[in-house]
Amino acid sequence: MHEHERPAPSPAPTASTDPAPADDRRGFLAKASSLGMLAGLGASYGTAGVFAARYLYPARPRAKAWMYVARIADIAPGGSLHYTTPGGEKVAIARQAQSGSIDDFVALSSTCPHLGCQVHWESQNERFFCPCHNGTFDKSGKGTGGPPGDAGQSLPRYPLKSDGGLLYIEVPTESLEVAEAPPPAGGHDPCLGPHSGPHFGPHLGDGARV
Amino acid sequence: MFSLQGWIRERVPVGPEQLRELTNEPVPNHLKKWWWCLGGTPAYLFVVQIVTGILLAFYYKPAPQTAYESVRYITEEASFGWFIRGLHKWAATMMVAAVVLHQMRVYFTGAYRKPRELNWLVGMCLLLLTLVVGFTGYSLVYEQLSYWGATVGANITDSVPVVGVYMKELLLGGEVYNDNTLSRFFILHAAVLPVTMAALIALHVTLIRLQGVTEFHFKDEDPKKAKFFNFFPEHLMTELSIGLVLMILLSVLATVLPAEMGPKADPLTTPEVIKPEWFFYVAFRWLKLFTGTLAVLSMGLVVFLMYAWPFIDAQIRKWRPKSEASVWIGIAGALAIIALTVWEASVAH
Repeated sequence: MHEHERPAPSPAPTASTDPAPADDRRGFLAKASSLGMLAGLGASYGTAGVFAARYLYPARPRAKAWMYVARIADIAPGGSLHYTTPGGEKVAIARQAQSGSIDDFVALSSTCPHLGCQVHWESQNERFFCPCHNGTFDKSGKGTGGPPGDAGQSLPRYPLKSDGGLLYIEVPTESLEVAEAPPPAGGHDPCLGPHSGPHFGPHLGDGARV
Repeated sequence: MFSLQGWIRERVPVGPEQLRELTNEPVPNHLKKWWWCLGGTPAYLFVVQIVTGILLAFYYKPAPQTAYESVRYITEEASFGWFIRGLHKWAATMMVAAVVLHQMRVYFTGAYRKPRELNWLVGMCLLLLTLVVGFTGYSLVYEQLSYWGATVGANITDSVPVVGVYMKELLLGGEVYNDNTLSRFFILHAAVLPVTMAALIALHVTLIRLQGVTEFHFKDEDPKKAKFFNFFPEHLMTELSIGLVLMILLSVLATVLPAEMGPKADPLTTPEVIKPEWFFYVAFRWLKLFTGTLAVLSMGLVVFLMYAWPFIDAQIRKWRPKSEASVWIGIAGALAIIALTVWEASVAH
């Protein structure tokens, strides 16, 4: 039995005897079709790459909503309360003036503006402290030391609005699974008071200024 | 009569002689001493990580609600889970150390110089990938320190001007750490980064084979003695011996200092004392010393200079052929890294 043999290679193409213009035309067409094919490949792979990048990029921003906080009349000038977002983040809300406008109020986030760690109140030093990179903030949330102090950063503020004598705050409504409530910390927060658990909503503080 | 060898030879037309020729790269004599063989160590540890990582992935569940519990199950309930996790943890630590030592050896012996600049670039990519794979792996445990480490790491990318915010959202799968984050870290840690590293290791070894191992000449060497020896089996035996020692060391570390469980991640409370893995102490201290953007940009500049070093060094040597600048710069850099690491290790904040 004979083995299958590879067919003999076809003879090499002989040099064309066509005149030069035809060669030019053929060369041009060959180059143009190659370029067209490369462009098509680039466009299709590029489109696929854009689709993949868009797929990986988050489809929508973090969901937020306006939440009721308290009746404005219930917060005296100089008074404060602490508010827990649905995700569990602690917010210090304080009334700093009595003009009657929403500008009287500030709502401080406990997220450090440097690299996103949670700050806590140090009563002995009268400051918020970030344990990640030693950032410090005064009662009003202004950076006083560490990288946030050097960069002139303050604790982020949540948007507030009033409507019909009621105070509202815009906060994220999505969050990670909330861990079990940690045991109460020893420190006392002038704005927040002792943290009382994973429920959300407002809690009147004891009137310290921020 | 049927011959298995003949059957295989017909289908894989490579003979023992050709195989021997392929593997018998001449190896310079200095590689008989194990401390010159540090390049093979991270490669060996990489294989350990792949094997133990696959075993861990059988039980690991990358979601905030399940990750910590699945790691606890591996550590406390699965048979020999504590050992496999311990091997994975210690091999990661040793891999970082081995890559750094290998790079220092290459640097201080000038083995990055022409014509090996490209392999230095590949090696730099492997160094960074080793650090990133360590960071993503540490984040998967979902302990307090790993959660806050991941948060800080993601926010570091946010400090990069213009593109930082997009990089952060791409990494986290949202504006902040969310339910999609752990699965992203897991895919990066267990698929994207290892595959990229495997490809780069193959390229690294190919370039070494094409260029040959750098030859060094020592004052006390005998000029009559052969300058090379065979890769197979002599050098292979050296590498296998190193592998055996590494395996013993890893087993001892995984048993005596096993990987433990810290407190579960609490997204609402940053621990009073927070530290990353030891190989990020330098960056962590740097971030305490400077504002976010300045710290990130200066670290980026250092990394860029490390990448470009073979070309910068070539310019320096063009001006001053006998310059020892690279040695002094290397010593200063190494001392700075050690000082920042010790500083960070010795204080709580």
